[in-house]
Amino acid sequence: MGRDRGIAVEGLVREFKKGPKAVDGIDLRVEPGEVYGFLGPNGAGKSTTVLMLTTLLPPSGGTARVAGYDIVKEGPQVRASIGAALQEAALDPFLTGREHLNLQAALHGISRSDRRKRGNALLERVGLQEAADRRVRGYSGGMKRRLDLALALVHGPQILFLDEPTTGLDPQSRSALWSEVSRLARDEGVTVFLTTQYLEEADVLADRVGIIDRGRIVAEDTPEALKAEIGRPSVEATPASPGERDAVVGVLVRFGEEIPSQPGTVAVRLSGGASGLADVVRALDAENLKVSNLRLEEPSLDDVFLAKTGRSLEGAGDGDETNAEEAQG
Amino acid sequence: MGGFFAVAWAVAGRQTYKYFTNPAFLAPALFPLFFFVAFAGGLTRVGDIPGFNYAAGYIAFQYVWALLQAVTMGGAFTGFSIASDFENGFARRLMLAASNRYGIILGYTLASLVRAFMTGTLVTGLALITGMPITGGFDFFGLIALAILANIAATLFGAGIAMMLRTQQAGPVIRTPIFLVLFLAPVFVPLNLLTGWIETVARLNPFTAILDAARGFLAGDPQNVVPAFAISAALILALSLWAVFGLRQAEKAG
Repeated sequence: MGRDRGIAVEGLVREFKKGPKAVDGIDLRVEPGEVYGFLGPNGAGKSTTVLMLTTLLPPSGGTARVAGYDIVKEGPQVRASIGAALQEAALDPFLTGREHLNLQAALHGISRSDRRKRGNALLERVGLQEAADRRVRGYSGGMKRRLDLALALVHGPQILFLDEPTTGLDPQSRSALWSEVSRLARDEGVTVFLTTQYLEEADVLADRVGIIDRGRIVAEDTPEALKAEIGRPSVEATPASPGERDAVVGVLVRFGEEIPSQPGTVAVRLSGGASGLADVVRALDAENLKVSNLRLEEPSLDDVFLAKTGRSLEGAGDGDETNAEEAQG
Repeated sequence: MGGFFAVAWAVAGRQTYKYFTNPAFLAPALFPLFFFVAFAGGLTRVGDIPGFNYAAGYIAFQYVWALLQAVTMGGAFTGFSIASDFENGFARRLMLAASNRYGIILGYTLASLVRAFMTGTLVTGLALITGMPITGGFDFFGLIALAILANIAATLFGAGIAMMLRTQQAGPVIRTPIFLVLFLAPVFVPLNLLTGWIETVARLNPFTAILDAARGFLAGDPQNVVPAFAISAALILALSLWAVFGLRQAEKAG
C-alpha cells in the first residue's frame, strides 16, 4: 500500500501477560473513503485492534499500515494522519469544550489563529456551541461523545477511528452521530474504522463489516453479502391457541426447516425464500389454523454471527479483552 | 502535526492553566512554609552554637533548604498530576495527538517550573518578611539557578515513576525518596556539626553539595559551585533517561 488513506493489516497479534491472545492474527484491508464496521461482542478484540492501529499499543506480532505508514516504525506519521474517539472519552473535567479543542489543536501544531476558527466550526458541527464554555464535568454522556468526535477531527484527519462511539447514547444522540459519520465519509472522503457491538449500527453505517470473535475475524464482507451468505429469510408464527402449536409446526415445516424461536412461537427458515410467505398463509388457512402474529424476518448480522461462531452476538461477550488489558498492566 | 515544541507548549499550557484555576495550586508550598516558619522561628538559637559559622544567619540558612524543598516538592506534585492523567485516561489523548511524545515530558517540566516559581516566590517573600538578608547580591541568581535545576530533576524523577505506574498510587513512591534526599542532608546545622550516621549519609547525599553551594550563594561566599552544578547536570541527564524509560513503559502498556 502506498501513501493512501486506507488501512492494511496482516497477521496482527496482541498477546497480554497472563492472558489470552486478545487479537490472534487478523488480516484486513480498509479502502480509502470506506466505512469499515468492526463488529463483535465485548472482549472480542475490537478495542485492542484499535489501540494498535492508532499506535497506542504495540502489537506482539504482524504488521499494519495506516495511511500508508507502518504503525510501529512510523508512529508519528500515523498519528498525524488519524483521528480517534476511543471507547472512553478522555476528557479533562476541569476544562471547557472550547479549551479542549484549543489544546488538541495546539498539540497538532495548528496556529493560534486557525485554532479558534476550527474550534468554532467543529463546535457548531457537533452542536455544542452553547455548551462550549462550560466545564466538561457538567456534560452529558452524549455531549462528551460529540466533543470527543470534534476533537478527533480538529486536524482534518484522513482516517477516523471510532471505538464504540454510540455505546450508552440515547437514540437521538446515536442518530445524530450516525449522520455525522456518514457525512464525513460521503462528503469529505474520510476513511472510517468503526467498532461496534450493535448490529444495527454496523448495518446502517458500514460499507463493509468484519466480524471478530475471540481475536479472530470470522467473516468479512458487505452487510448485504454476509446476510445473503446465510441465505433465506425466516417466518415466525404465533399460534392463536397454544394447543395448536404442533399443528402449526406441521404446516410450517412443509416450507423449510424449523429454527429456534421465542417461547410460544414457531419459526422456520423458508427454503423458497420470501415468496413462500403467501403459501404459508394459504396452507394455514386451509388447515383452519389461526395465528395471532405472523412475521417475515430477513437474515440479520446476528444470524451471520450465529452461523460463524455458533453463538448469538447478544450476550456473547466474555470480557476477556478488558481483563487481558488489565492483566498486562 | 505538532512537533516536539508544539507538543511541549500545549502540555505546559494546559498544566499551567489548570494550576492557576485550581484553588489548591499553592499546596506544594505549604510544607516548606510550615517547615520554614517552624525551624527558622523555633531553632534560631542554633545559629549561636559554636561551629555554626554561616554568615547570613539562621533564617537564611533555613530559607535555602525551604526553597529547595518547595521546588523539589513542586516537581513531585507534577509527578502526581502525570499519574492522575494516566489514571483518568487523559494521557491517552496526549499520546495519541503528540507526534513527538518526548514533548510531553518537556511540557510537564515547563509547567513544573511555573509551579516552582510560584511556590519559590512565596517562600522567598515570607523569608524576606521575617528578616532574611540577601548578603550575596547577584550571587542570589546562582541560588535560583540551582533551585531551577533541582525542580527539573525532581520533575523528571516524578515523571518517570508516574509513567511507569500510571496510577495515583505512584504518589508515595515519588514523594518518599524526595523527602529522604531532602532530610538526609544538613537541614538544621551545617555539615561540620553533624555526627554519627547522619553525617556519613549527608556526605554521601548528592543533595548536600547542592544545598551547600546554594547557601554559599545567598551568603555571598560561593562554595563547591562546580560540584553542585555538575551533580545537578548529571542528575538531570540521568533522570531524563529515567523519564524517557517511563514514557517507553507507558507506550508499551498502551
